[in-house]
Amino acid sequence: MTRSTEERLRETLDALAAGIEAAPPAYKKARAEWRRRERRRRLVLAVLIAIVFALADLIGLWALNQTRDHDPIIFDDRSRIHQTDPATGVIPP
Amino acid sequence: MTSPLIRAQQAAAEPDEALATLFQTQYAGMLRLAVLLGADDAEDIVAEAFYQLYRRWKKLRGADAAVPYLRSVVCNLTRMRLRHLQVVRKHSTPETAQPPGISAEAEALLHDDQRALVAALKELPARQREALVLRHWLGLREAEIAEAMGISAGAVKSHTSRGMAALTRVLEERR
Repeated sequence: MTRSTEERLRETLDALAAGIEAAPPAYKKARAEWRRRERRRRLVLAVLIAIVFALADLIGLWALNQTRDHDPIIFDDRSRIHQTDPATGVIPP
Repeated sequence: MTSPLIRAQQAAAEPDEALATLFQTQYAGMLRLAVLLGADDAEDIVAEAFYQLYRRWKKLRGADAAVPYLRSVVCNLTRMRLRHLQVVRKHSTPETAQPPGISAEAEALLHDDQRALVAALKELPARQREALVLRHWLGLREAEIAEAMGISAGAVKSHTSRGMAALTRVLEERR
């Protein structure tokens, strides 16, 4: 029974496929469309990257601007600057 | 001796020629595949598949990998389209909802039994339908079907046997 269904399915699919009109469009036209889409995709990608960079810059600048003057953000060496060197007898080079 | 400029032009022309040949030889087959899988906009799907091939041409393993890649893209896009249509149908009124797929003109040439088989095929889940079409229309091996569908060979066997059992049941009920 399954064998018979397989054969009938094959015949049906062949008959259906034969009834489908499928002439390929002009290749040059299709290729021009692919190139246009590819250019557009790259342009959109470049704009998105530029926007992300600009946003990151702006956020960084805003964060820097929020801090008080003379307030070290990353390294705080004030304690070491004002600290006296221990008298170990070792002379720094 | 060829100059570097001529060699560069030849290298650029070779993929273009290969793509042009593929487009001429495979377009009809891919369009028929998309229709048999149930796509209502087969031409758009095939155009998108060729664009994806154009984009990834340099990343392909070789020219031999182009046809399996195209087949795989057509299967994926058709499945996505069918899922989208299912969602649309769920939220639309019964009058506006139309089942996607094979046109009435193409079906008009079929016998009653064949029409019943097509109707049963439309009712199958997308994966089972894909497995049956790839197996019985394209005559692909299990490994090739698995590659096209992005699943394991065991899953292909399962989808094929379940789909075939459902079709057999429908044909038996008609007798």
